[in-house]
Amino acid sequence: MNEQQTLAYVQATAALMRLPLDAAQAARVAVHLQRTVAMAGWLESAALAPHDELVQIYCPAPFPESDPAPSKGRP
Amino acid sequence: MSGPNLLRELGDDAARMAQAVRSGAVSARELLAASLARIEATDNQVNAFTLQTRARAEAEADAVDAQRARAPQALGPLAGVPFAVKNLYDIEGEVTVAGSTVNRSHAPAEADAVLVQQMQSAGAVLVGALNMDEYAYGFTTENTHYGPCHNPHDLTRISGGSSGGSGAAVAAGQLPITLGSDTNGSIRVPASLCGVWGLKPTFGRLSRRGSYPFVYSIDHLGPLASSVAGLALAYDALQRADPRDPGCHALRVQPVTPLMQGASTGLRIGVLGGYFEDNASASARLAVSMAAQALGATASVQWPDAALGRAAAFIITASEGGSLHLDDLRTQSAAFEPLSVDRFIAGALQPADWYLRAQRFRRVYRERVNALFADWDVLITAATPVSAPVIGTEWLDLNGTQQPCRAAMGLLTQPVSFAGCPVVTAPLWPEGTGGMPLGVQLIAAPWREDLAFVAAQRLAEAGVAQVRPVNF
Repeated sequence: MNEQQTLAYVQATAALMRLPLDAAQAARVAVHLQRTVAMAGWLESAALAPHDELVQIYCPAPFPESDPAPSKGRP
Repeated sequence: MSGPNLLRELGDDAARMAQAVRSGAVSARELLAASLARIEATDNQVNAFTLQTRARAEAEADAVDAQRARAPQALGPLAGVPFAVKNLYDIEGEVTVAGSTVNRSHAPAEADAVLVQQMQSAGAVLVGALNMDEYAYGFTTENTHYGPCHNPHDLTRISGGSSGGSGAAVAAGQLPITLGSDTNGSIRVPASLCGVWGLKPTFGRLSRRGSYPFVYSIDHLGPLASSVAGLALAYDALQRADPRDPGCHALRVQPVTPLMQGASTGLRIGVLGGYFEDNASASARLAVSMAAQALGATASVQWPDAALGRAAAFIITASEGGSLHLDDLRTQSAAFEPLSVDRFIAGALQPADWYLRAQRFRRVYRERVNALFADWDVLITAATPVSAPVIGTEWLDLNGTQQPCRAAMGLLTQPVSFAGCPVVTAPLWPEGTGGMPLGVQLIAAPWREDLAFVAAQRLAEAGVAQVRPVNF
Protein backbone atom coordinates (compact mmCIF):
# COMPACT_ATOMS: atom_id res chain seq x y z
CA MET A 1 0.00 0.00 0.00
CA ASN A 2 1.54 3.33 -1.02
CA GLU A 3 1.20 6.68 0.77
CA GLN A 4 -1.77 7.80 -1.31
CA GLN A 5 -3.61 4.55 -0.66
CA THR A 6 -2.90 4.78 3.05
CA LEU A 7 -4.19 8.35 3.13
CA ALA A 8 -7.33 7.28 1.27
CA TYR A 9 -7.82 4.45 3.78
CA VAL A 10 -7.42 6.88 6.69
CA GLN A 11 -9.95 9.30 5.24
CA ALA A 12 -12.48 6.56 4.49
CA THR A 13 -12.22 4.73 7.82
CA ALA A 14 -12.13 7.98 9.83
CA ALA A 15 -15.46 8.89 8.24
CA LEU A 16 -16.78 5.42 9.08
CA MET A 17 -15.66 5.83 12.71
CA ARG A 18 -17.01 9.41 12.88
CA LEU A 19 -13.54 10.83 13.54
CA PRO A 20 -13.29 14.33 12.12
CA LEU A 21 -9.83 14.88 10.57
CA ASP A 22 -8.63 17.87 8.61
CA ALA A 23 -6.24 17.30 5.73
CA ALA A 24 -3.10 17.92 7.75
CA GLN A 25 -4.08 15.59 10.56
CA ALA A 26 -5.19 12.89 8.12
CA ALA A 27 -1.74 13.06 6.52
CA ARG A 28 -0.02 12.73 9.92
CA VAL A 29 -2.21 9.80 10.90
CA ALA A 30 -1.44 8.14 7.58
CA VAL A 31 2.29 8.37 8.30
CA HIS A 32 1.75 6.54 11.61
CA LEU A 33 -0.49 3.95 10.03
CA GLN A 34 2.03 3.35 7.25
CA ARG A 35 4.60 2.35 9.91
CA THR A 36 2.09 -0.09 11.37
CA VAL A 37 1.41 -1.52 7.91
CA ALA A 38 4.99 -2.72 7.88
CA MET A 39 4.60 -4.38 11.29
CA ALA A 40 1.34 -6.02 10.27
CA GLY A 41 3.14 -7.37 7.22
CA TRP A 42 5.76 -9.04 9.40
CA LEU A 43 3.07 -10.51 11.60
CA GLU A 44 1.26 -11.88 8.56
CA SER A 45 4.38 -13.86 7.77
CA ALA A 46 4.17 -15.68 11.12
CA ALA A 47 2.74 -19.15 10.65
CA LEU A 48 -0.54 -19.60 12.53
CA ALA A 49 -2.72 -22.70 12.26
CA PRO A 50 -6.53 -22.53 12.43
CA HIS A 51 -6.47 -23.99 15.94
CA ASP A 52 -4.14 -21.25 17.21
CA GLU A 53 -6.80 -19.37 19.15
CA LEU A 54 -6.60 -15.96 20.76
CA VAL A 55 -4.67 -15.79 23.95
CA GLN A 56 -7.32 -15.88 26.64
CA ILE A 57 -8.83 -12.54 27.62
CA TYR A 58 -11.99 -13.78 29.30
CA CYS A 59 -12.60 -16.13 32.21
CA PRO A 60 -16.20 -17.04 33.18
CA ALA A 61 -15.29 -17.72 36.81
CA PRO A 62 -12.16 -18.49 38.80
CA PHE A 63 -11.02 -22.10 38.51
CA PRO A 64 -12.10 -23.97 41.67
CA GLU A 65 -9.28 -24.75 44.04
CA SER A 66 -10.76 -28.15 44.92
CA ASP A 67 -13.01 -30.65 43.14
CA PRO A 68 -16.70 -30.76 44.10
CA ALA A 69 -17.84 -33.45 46.55
CA PRO A 70 -19.33 -36.53 44.79
CA SER A 71 -22.75 -35.97 46.35
CA LYS A 72 -23.07 -32.46 44.92
CA GLY A 73 -23.80 -31.46 41.34
CA ARG A 74 -24.40 -33.73 38.41
CA PRO A 75 -23.31 -37.37 38.63
CA MET B 1 18.76 12.20 63.55
CA SER B 2 16.69 14.77 61.69
CA GLY B 3 16.88 17.67 59.22
CA PRO B 4 16.80 18.16 55.47
CA ASN B 5 19.50 15.52 54.80
CA LEU B 6 17.71 12.84 56.76
CA LEU B 7 16.77 10.74 53.72
CA ARG B 8 20.35 10.72 52.46
CA GLU B 9 21.66 9.88 55.95
CA LEU B 10 19.45 6.81 55.78
CA GLY B 11 20.94 5.89 52.41
CA ASP B 12 17.76 6.95 50.58
CA ASP B 13 16.74 3.39 51.38
CA ALA B 14 13.18 2.40 52.29
CA ALA B 15 14.28 -0.58 54.35
CA ARG B 16 16.55 1.57 56.55
CA MET B 17 13.90 4.25 56.86
CA ALA B 18 11.27 1.79 58.04
CA GLN B 19 13.75 0.27 60.49
CA ALA B 20 14.60 3.73 61.83
CA VAL B 21 10.90 4.45 62.40
CA ARG B 22 10.36 1.09 64.07
CA SER B 23 13.31 1.61 66.39
CA GLY B 24 12.25 5.14 67.25
CA ALA B 25 15.42 6.69 65.82
CA VAL B 26 13.23 8.93 63.67
CA SER B 27 9.53 9.61 63.48
CA ALA B 28 7.37 9.23 60.39
CA ARG B 29 6.70 12.96 60.62
CA GLU B 30 10.44 13.68 60.44
CA LEU B 31 10.84 11.44 57.41
CA LEU B 32 7.91 13.15 55.74
CA ALA B 33 9.31 16.59 56.48
CA ALA B 34 12.63 15.61 54.96
CA SER B 35 10.94 14.24 51.86
CA LEU B 36 8.81 17.36 51.41
CA ALA B 37 11.87 19.57 51.88
CA ARG B 38 13.76 17.60 49.23
CA ILE B 39 10.81 17.90 46.83
CA GLU B 40 10.60 21.63 47.53
CA ALA B 41 14.31 22.05 46.84
CA THR B 42 14.49 20.02 43.64
CA ASP B 43 11.18 19.71 41.87
CA ASN B 44 11.25 23.10 40.20
CA GLN B 45 14.14 21.60 38.21
CA VAL B 46 12.97 17.99 37.86
CA ASN B 47 9.19 18.44 37.44
CA ALA B 48 8.39 14.98 38.75
CA PHE B 49 5.30 15.95 40.76
CA THR B 50 1.92 17.05 39.42
CA LEU B 51 0.16 16.90 42.80
CA GLN B 52 1.24 16.93 46.43
CA THR B 53 -1.07 15.45 49.07
CA ARG B 54 0.54 17.18 52.02
CA ALA B 55 -2.42 17.20 54.43
CA ARG B 56 -3.14 13.55 53.83
CA ALA B 57 0.54 12.68 54.17
CA GLU B 58 0.77 14.47 57.51
CA ALA B 59 -2.27 12.60 58.79
CA GLU B 60 -0.84 9.26 57.64
CA ALA B 61 2.56 9.99 59.18
CA ASP B 62 0.91 10.97 62.45
CA ALA B 63 -1.07 7.73 62.41
CA VAL B 64 2.16 5.74 62.02
CA ASP B 65 3.78 7.63 64.92
CA ALA B 66 0.71 7.08 67.08
CA GLN B 67 0.81 3.39 66.21
CA ARG B 68 4.43 3.21 67.26
CA ALA B 69 3.63 4.82 70.60
CA ARG B 70 0.72 2.45 71.15
CA ALA B 71 1.87 -0.90 69.69
CA PRO B 72 5.20 -0.75 67.84
CA GLN B 73 5.14 -4.46 67.10
CA ALA B 74 2.13 -3.85 64.85
CA LEU B 75 3.94 -1.42 62.56
CA GLY B 76 3.98 -2.44 58.91
CA PRO B 77 7.11 -3.26 56.90
CA LEU B 78 7.08 0.19 55.26
CA ALA B 79 6.25 2.15 58.41
CA GLY B 80 6.63 5.84 57.74
CA VAL B 81 8.24 5.44 54.31
CA PRO B 82 7.16 8.26 51.96
CA PHE B 83 6.05 7.26 48.47
CA ALA B 84 4.21 8.70 45.47
CA VAL B 85 2.34 7.30 42.50
CA LYS B 86 2.15 7.90 38.76
CA ASN B 87 -0.86 10.12 38.23
CA LEU B 88 -2.93 7.34 36.68
CA TYR B 89 -3.47 5.78 40.13
CA ASP B 90 -6.69 6.74 41.88
CA ILE B 91 -6.22 8.85 45.00
CA GLU B 92 -9.40 9.32 46.99
CA GLY B 93 -10.79 12.81 46.52
CA GLU B 94 -8.48 13.68 43.62
CA VAL B 95 -9.07 13.61 39.87
CA THR B 96 -7.05 10.90 38.12
CA VAL B 97 -5.63 12.92 35.24
CA ALA B 98 -3.45 10.18 33.68
CA GLY B 99 -1.21 12.84 32.20
CA SER B 100 -4.08 14.47 30.31
CA THR B 101 -6.14 17.62 30.48
CA VAL B 102 -9.17 15.79 29.09
CA ASN B 103 -9.60 13.88 32.35
CA ARG B 104 -9.66 17.06 34.43
CA SER B 105 -13.44 17.16 33.94
CA HIS B 106 -13.80 13.71 35.52
CA ALA B 107 -15.17 13.27 39.03
CA PRO B 108 -12.64 12.82 41.83
CA ALA B 109 -11.83 9.22 42.73
CA GLU B 110 -14.08 7.77 45.39
CA ALA B 111 -11.40 5.45 46.73
CA ASP B 112 -7.68 4.82 46.51
CA ALA B 113 -6.36 2.36 43.93
CA VAL B 114 -5.86 -1.11 45.37
CA LEU B 115 -2.07 -0.74 45.31
CA VAL B 116 -2.25 2.59 47.14
CA GLN B 117 -4.34 0.82 49.79
CA GLN B 118 -1.75 -1.93 50.00
CA MET B 119 1.07 0.56 50.53
CA GLN B 120 -0.92 2.39 53.18
CA SER B 121 -1.65 -0.90 54.96
CA ALA B 122 2.10 -1.52 55.09
CA GLY B 123 2.60 1.84 56.77
CA ALA B 124 3.82 3.87 53.78
CA VAL B 125 2.86 7.54 53.54
CA LEU B 126 1.45 8.90 50.25
CA VAL B 127 3.05 12.21 49.31
CA GLY B 128 1.54 12.87 45.88
CA ALA B 129 1.12 12.06 42.21
CA LEU B 130 3.76 12.04 39.48
CA ASN B 131 4.25 13.22 35.91
CA MET B 132 3.79 10.82 32.98
CA ASP B 133 3.18 10.65 29.25
CA GLU B 134 -0.45 11.33 28.47
CA TYR B 135 -2.48 8.15 28.90
CA ALA B 136 0.84 6.28 29.19
CA TYR B 137 1.36 6.35 25.41
CA GLY B 138 5.05 7.29 25.30
CA PHE B 139 8.54 6.47 26.55
CA THR B 140 9.85 9.99 27.27
CA THR B 141 7.50 12.01 29.57
CA GLU B 142 7.79 15.06 27.37
CA ASN B 143 4.30 15.98 28.51
CA THR B 144 3.01 19.07 26.70
CA HIS B 145 0.36 19.85 29.34
CA TYR B 146 2.43 19.47 32.52
CA GLY B 147 5.89 20.07 31.09
CA PRO B 148 8.66 17.56 30.46
CA CYS B 149 10.05 15.58 33.36
CA HIS B 150 13.80 16.19 33.54
CA ASN B 151 16.40 13.53 34.22
CA PRO B 152 17.97 14.34 37.63
CA HIS B 153 21.40 13.21 36.41
CA ASP B 154 21.32 15.71 33.52
CA LEU B 155 18.42 18.12 33.45
CA THR B 156 18.66 18.57 29.67
CA ARG B 157 17.77 14.92 29.14
CA ILE B 158 14.57 12.89 29.32
CA SER B 159 13.65 10.86 32.36
CA GLY B 160 12.11 8.14 30.19
CA GLY B 161 8.50 7.17 30.32
CA SER B 162 5.75 6.76 30.56
CA SER B 163 6.41 6.56 34.32
CA GLY B 164 8.99 9.35 34.03
CA GLY B 165 8.01 11.14 37.21
CA SER B 166 8.24 7.84 39.09
CA GLY B 167 11.82 7.30 37.95
CA ALA B 168 12.94 10.89 38.37
CA ALA B 169 11.50 11.31 41.88
CA VAL B 170 13.50 8.32 43.15
CA ALA B 171 16.66 9.38 41.30
CA ALA B 172 16.41 12.91 42.71
CA GLY B 173 16.27 11.54 46.25
CA GLN B 174 12.77 12.89 46.82
CA LEU B 175 11.37 9.50 47.81
CA PRO B 176 12.71 5.96 48.17
CA ILE B 177 9.71 4.27 46.50
CA THR B 178 7.27 5.19 43.74
CA LEU B 179 4.64 3.25 41.84
CA GLY B 180 4.38 3.22 38.06
CA SER B 181 2.79 1.26 35.24
CA ASP B 182 4.36 -0.72 32.42
CA THR B 183 2.59 -1.80 29.24
CA ASN B 184 5.51 -1.88 26.84
CA GLY B 185 8.37 -0.73 29.08
CA SER B 186 7.05 2.22 31.04
CA ILE B 187 8.64 1.19 34.35
CA ARG B 188 11.81 -0.32 32.87
CA VAL B 189 12.64 2.59 30.54
CA PRO B 190 12.60 5.33 33.23
CA ALA B 191 14.33 3.00 35.68
CA SER B 192 17.09 2.51 33.10
CA LEU B 193 17.44 6.16 32.12
CA CYS B 194 17.20 7.54 35.68
CA GLY B 195 19.41 4.88 37.26
CA VAL B 196 16.98 3.37 39.78
CA TRP B 197 15.62 -0.11 40.49
CA GLY B 198 12.32 -1.09 38.87
CA LEU B 199 10.04 -4.12 38.82
CA LYS B 200 7.62 -5.08 36.10
CA PRO B 201 5.96 -8.10 37.70
CA THR B 202 4.40 -11.06 35.90
CA PHE B 203 1.34 -10.01 33.92
CA GLY B 204 -1.55 -10.69 36.29
CA ARG B 205 0.50 -10.57 39.51
CA LEU B 206 -0.66 -7.24 40.94
CA SER B 207 -4.14 -5.75 40.95
CA ARG B 208 -4.69 -2.91 38.51
CA ARG B 209 -8.04 -1.93 39.99
CA GLY B 210 -8.26 1.80 40.54
CA SER B 211 -5.70 2.73 37.90
CA TYR B 212 -6.52 4.45 34.63
CA PRO B 213 -6.08 1.84 31.88
CA PHE B 214 -4.10 2.07 28.68
CA VAL B 215 -4.07 -1.43 27.11
CA TYR B 216 -6.22 -3.88 29.05
CA SER B 217 -4.48 -6.98 27.75
CA ILE B 218 -0.91 -5.82 28.45
CA ASP B 219 -1.06 -3.31 31.36
CA HIS B 220 1.06 -4.07 34.43
CA LEU B 221 1.61 -2.02 37.59
CA GLY B 222 4.73 -2.12 39.75
CA PRO B 223 7.24 -0.29 41.97
CA LEU B 224 10.46 1.65 41.43
CA ALA B 225 12.92 2.10 44.30
CA SER B 226 16.30 3.38 45.38
CA SER B 227 17.49 -0.04 46.59
CA VAL B 228 16.80 -3.63 45.70
CA ALA B 229 15.75 -4.29 49.31
CA GLY B 230 13.27 -1.44 49.11
CA LEU B 231 11.97 -2.72 45.80
CA ALA B 232 11.38 -6.14 47.35
CA LEU B 233 9.64 -4.68 50.41
CA ALA B 234 7.33 -2.67 48.17
CA TYR B 235 6.60 -5.64 45.91
CA ASP B 236 5.74 -7.86 48.87
CA ALA B 237 3.47 -5.18 50.31
CA LEU B 238 1.66 -4.75 46.98
CA GLN B 239 0.72 -8.39 46.54
CA ARG B 240 -2.80 -9.66 47.14
CA ALA B 241 -5.27 -11.72 45.17
CA ASP B 242 -7.95 -9.56 43.59
CA PRO B 243 -10.82 -11.42 41.90
CA ARG B 244 -12.39 -8.07 41.01
CA ASP B 245 -9.58 -7.28 38.54
CA PRO B 246 -10.15 -9.56 35.52
CA GLY B 247 -6.45 -9.24 34.71
CA CYS B 248 -5.23 -10.27 38.19
CA HIS B 249 -4.43 -13.98 38.06
CA ALA B 250 -2.41 -14.41 41.25
CA LEU B 251 -4.25 -16.47 43.86
CA ARG B 252 -1.93 -15.92 46.78
CA VAL B 253 0.97 -13.82 48.02
CA GLN B 254 4.49 -15.08 47.24
CA PRO B 255 6.88 -12.79 49.14
CA VAL B 256 10.45 -12.46 47.87
CA THR B 257 12.12 -10.65 50.78
CA PRO B 258 12.72 -13.84 52.83
CA LEU B 259 14.24 -15.55 49.78
CA MET B 260 16.82 -12.94 48.88
CA GLN B 261 19.48 -13.81 51.42
CA GLY B 262 21.58 -16.94 51.06
CA ALA B 263 19.96 -18.12 47.85
CA SER B 264 22.40 -16.65 45.44
CA THR B 265 24.13 -19.69 43.97
CA GLY B 266 23.25 -22.09 41.24
CA LEU B 267 21.21 -19.82 39.01
CA ARG B 268 21.35 -20.64 35.29
CA ILE B 269 21.81 -17.23 33.70
CA GLY B 270 22.02 -16.50 29.98
CA VAL B 271 22.56 -13.37 27.90
CA LEU B 272 20.10 -12.53 25.14
CA GLY B 273 21.71 -12.24 21.71
CA GLY B 274 20.35 -11.64 18.20
CA TYR B 275 17.61 -8.99 18.17
CA PHE B 276 18.61 -7.74 21.62
CA GLU B 277 22.26 -7.25 20.66
CA ASP B 278 21.39 -5.77 17.28
CA ASN B 279 19.24 -3.09 18.91
CA ALA B 280 21.68 -2.15 21.67
CA SER B 281 24.32 0.57 21.48
CA ALA B 282 27.90 -0.12 22.51
CA SER B 283 27.19 1.28 25.98
CA ALA B 284 24.10 -0.89 26.37
CA ARG B 285 26.09 -3.97 25.41
CA LEU B 286 28.77 -2.95 27.88
CA ALA B 287 26.18 -2.70 30.67
CA VAL B 288 24.99 -6.21 29.82
CA SER B 289 28.52 -7.59 29.85
CA MET B 290 29.18 -5.97 33.25
CA ALA B 291 26.10 -7.68 34.67
CA ALA B 292 26.89 -10.96 32.93
CA GLN B 293 30.42 -11.00 34.32
CA ALA B 294 29.21 -10.35 37.86
CA LEU B 295 26.64 -13.12 37.55
CA GLY B 296 28.97 -15.59 35.83
CA ALA B 297 26.83 -15.72 32.69
CA THR B 298 28.56 -16.56 29.43
CA ALA B 299 26.05 -18.34 27.18
CA SER B 300 24.20 -16.45 24.47
CA VAL B 301 20.49 -17.23 24.27
CA GLN B 302 18.09 -16.51 21.41
CA TRP B 303 14.70 -15.11 22.44
CA PRO B 304 12.18 -16.45 19.91
CA ASP B 305 10.45 -14.07 17.51
CA ALA B 306 11.42 -10.88 19.35
CA ALA B 307 10.68 -8.58 16.40
CA LEU B 308 7.32 -10.24 15.83
CA GLY B 309 6.51 -9.94 19.53
CA ARG B 310 7.24 -6.23 19.37
CA ALA B 311 5.13 -5.83 16.23
CA ALA B 312 2.19 -7.63 17.83
CA ALA B 313 2.50 -5.57 21.01
CA PHE B 314 2.64 -2.40 18.91
CA ILE B 315 -0.56 -3.30 17.05
CA ILE B 316 -2.49 -4.38 20.15
CA THR B 317 -1.40 -1.23 21.99
CA ALA B 318 -2.52 1.08 19.21
CA SER B 319 -5.81 -0.71 18.71
CA GLU B 320 -6.87 -0.96 22.37
CA GLY B 321 -5.59 2.54 23.14
CA GLY B 322 -7.40 4.05 20.18
CA SER B 323 -10.61 2.24 21.03
CA LEU B 324 -10.45 3.28 24.69
CA HIS B 325 -10.27 6.99 23.80
CA LEU B 326 -12.44 6.95 20.69
CA ASP B 327 -15.25 9.11 22.10
CA ASP B 328 -12.85 11.83 23.23
CA LEU B 329 -10.90 11.61 19.97
CA ARG B 330 -14.14 12.30 18.12
CA THR B 331 -15.10 15.33 20.16
CA GLN B 332 -11.93 16.92 21.57
CA SER B 333 -8.84 15.58 19.83
CA ALA B 334 -7.30 19.06 19.96
CA ALA B 335 -7.07 18.69 23.74
CA PHE B 336 -4.90 15.57 23.46
CA GLU B 337 -1.11 15.41 23.68
CA PRO B 338 0.20 16.45 20.25
CA LEU B 339 2.98 13.84 20.47
CA SER B 340 0.53 10.91 20.69
CA VAL B 341 -2.91 11.93 19.41
CA ASP B 342 -2.19 10.91 15.81
CA ARG B 343 -0.99 7.50 16.99
CA PHE B 344 -4.19 7.01 18.99
CA ILE B 345 -6.25 7.85 15.91
CA ALA B 346 -4.18 5.58 13.66
CA GLY B 347 -4.74 2.80 16.19
CA ALA B 348 -8.50 3.33 16.14
CA LEU B 349 -8.48 2.85 12.38
CA GLN B 350 -6.52 -0.42 12.28
CA PRO B 351 -8.23 -3.40 10.60
CA ALA B 352 -9.66 -5.98 13.00
CA ASP B 353 -7.57 -8.68 11.38
CA TRP B 354 -4.36 -7.07 12.57
CA TYR B 355 -5.54 -7.04 16.17
CA LEU B 356 -6.92 -10.57 16.12
CA ARG B 357 -3.83 -11.94 14.45
CA ALA B 358 -1.64 -10.26 17.06
CA GLN B 359 -3.67 -11.80 19.90
CA ARG B 360 -3.52 -15.23 18.25
CA PHE B 361 0.22 -14.86 17.77
CA ARG B 362 0.56 -14.00 21.46
CA ARG B 363 -0.57 -17.49 22.42
CA VAL B 364 2.04 -19.15 20.20
CA TYR B 365 4.67 -16.67 21.34
CA ARG B 366 4.00 -17.39 25.01
CA GLU B 367 4.65 -21.09 24.51
CA ARG B 368 7.92 -20.44 22.70
CA VAL B 369 9.15 -17.94 25.27
CA ASN B 370 8.16 -20.06 28.26
CA ALA B 371 10.04 -23.02 26.78
CA LEU B 372 13.27 -21.03 27.21
CA PHE B 373 12.93 -21.23 30.96
CA ALA B 374 13.31 -25.00 30.99
CA ASP B 375 17.01 -24.27 30.50
CA TRP B 376 17.43 -20.83 32.10
CA ASP B 377 16.47 -19.19 35.38
CA VAL B 378 17.31 -15.61 34.45
CA LEU B 379 17.99 -13.95 31.10
CA ILE B 380 19.84 -10.65 30.77
CA THR B 381 19.54 -7.84 28.26
CA ALA B 382 19.73 -4.05 28.30
CA ALA B 383 16.59 -2.15 29.25
CA THR B 384 17.07 0.66 26.74
CA PRO B 385 19.12 0.81 23.54
CA VAL B 386 20.91 3.96 24.72
CA SER B 387 21.22 6.18 27.79
CA ALA B 388 18.88 9.19 28.15
CA PRO B 389 18.65 11.35 25.00
CA VAL B 390 18.32 15.12 25.16
CA ILE B 391 14.72 16.33 25.53
CA GLY B 392 13.17 16.92 22.10
CA THR B 393 15.32 14.39 20.25
CA GLU B 394 13.41 13.11 17.21
CA TRP B 395 15.78 10.59 15.67
CA LEU B 396 18.35 8.20 17.07
CA ASP B 397 21.32 6.68 15.28
CA LEU B 398 21.38 3.13 16.53
CA ASN B 399 24.30 1.15 15.13
CA GLY B 400 24.08 3.06 11.86
CA THR B 401 20.29 2.90 11.51
CA GLN B 402 18.06 5.93 12.01
CA GLN B 403 15.24 5.12 14.46
CA PRO B 404 12.39 7.35 15.66
CA CYS B 405 13.74 8.16 19.13
CA ARG B 406 10.53 8.04 21.14
CA ALA B 407 9.45 4.64 19.85
CA ALA B 408 12.98 3.21 19.91
CA MET B 409 13.20 3.55 23.69
CA GLY B 410 10.92 0.47 23.91
CA LEU B 411 12.76 -1.73 21.44
CA LEU B 412 14.23 -3.98 24.15
CA THR B 413 11.33 -3.98 26.59
CA GLN B 414 8.30 -4.61 24.37
CA PRO B 415 9.08 -8.20 23.38
CA VAL B 416 9.51 -9.14 27.05
CA SER B 417 6.36 -7.58 28.51
CA PHE B 418 4.32 -9.00 25.62
CA ALA B 419 5.23 -12.45 26.93
CA GLY B 420 4.25 -11.35 30.46
CA CYS B 421 7.56 -12.33 32.10
CA PRO B 422 8.65 -10.61 35.34
CA VAL B 423 11.63 -8.26 35.04
CA VAL B 424 13.76 -6.46 37.59
CA THR B 425 15.61 -3.53 36.03
CA ALA B 426 19.00 -2.93 37.67
CA PRO B 427 20.78 0.44 37.47
CA LEU B 428 24.23 0.21 35.87
CA TRP B 429 26.69 2.93 34.89
CA PRO B 430 28.69 1.80 31.85
CA GLU B 431 31.36 3.90 30.21
CA GLY B 432 30.52 5.87 27.09
CA THR B 433 27.35 7.47 28.40
CA GLY B 434 28.82 10.68 29.75
CA GLY B 435 28.17 9.55 33.29
CA MET B 436 24.54 8.62 32.68
CA PRO B 437 22.98 5.35 33.83
CA LEU B 438 21.76 2.55 31.60
CA GLY B 439 19.77 -0.30 33.11
CA VAL B 440 19.80 -4.03 32.57
CA GLN B 441 16.73 -6.26 32.52
CA LEU B 442 16.83 -9.42 34.66
CA ILE B 443 14.07 -11.58 33.17
CA ALA B 444 12.56 -14.70 34.75
CA ALA B 445 9.78 -17.14 33.91
CA PRO B 446 6.21 -16.10 34.72
CA TRP B 447 5.56 -16.16 38.50
CA ARG B 448 9.30 -16.40 39.30
CA GLU B 449 9.97 -12.85 40.42
CA ASP B 450 12.05 -14.40 43.19
CA LEU B 451 14.74 -15.50 40.72
CA ALA B 452 15.01 -12.03 39.17
CA PHE B 453 15.31 -10.56 42.68
CA VAL B 454 18.06 -13.02 43.66
CA ALA B 455 20.06 -12.00 40.57
CA ALA B 456 19.41 -8.33 41.37
CA GLN B 457 20.62 -8.81 44.92
CA ARG B 458 23.84 -10.37 43.60
CA LEU B 459 24.44 -7.38 41.33
CA ALA B 460 23.87 -5.02 44.24
CA GLU B 461 26.17 -6.97 46.56
CA ALA B 462 28.87 -7.03 43.88
CA GLY B 463 28.65 -3.26 43.60
CA VAL B 464 27.87 -3.53 39.89
CA ALA B 465 24.37 -2.07 40.17
CA GLN B 466 23.55 0.82 42.44
CA VAL B 467 21.69 4.11 42.66
CA ARG B 468 23.99 7.11 42.64
CA PRO B 469 23.19 10.46 44.25
CA VAL B 470 22.60 13.49 42.07
CA ASN B 471 24.75 16.60 42.39
CA PHE B 472 22.10 19.10 43.44
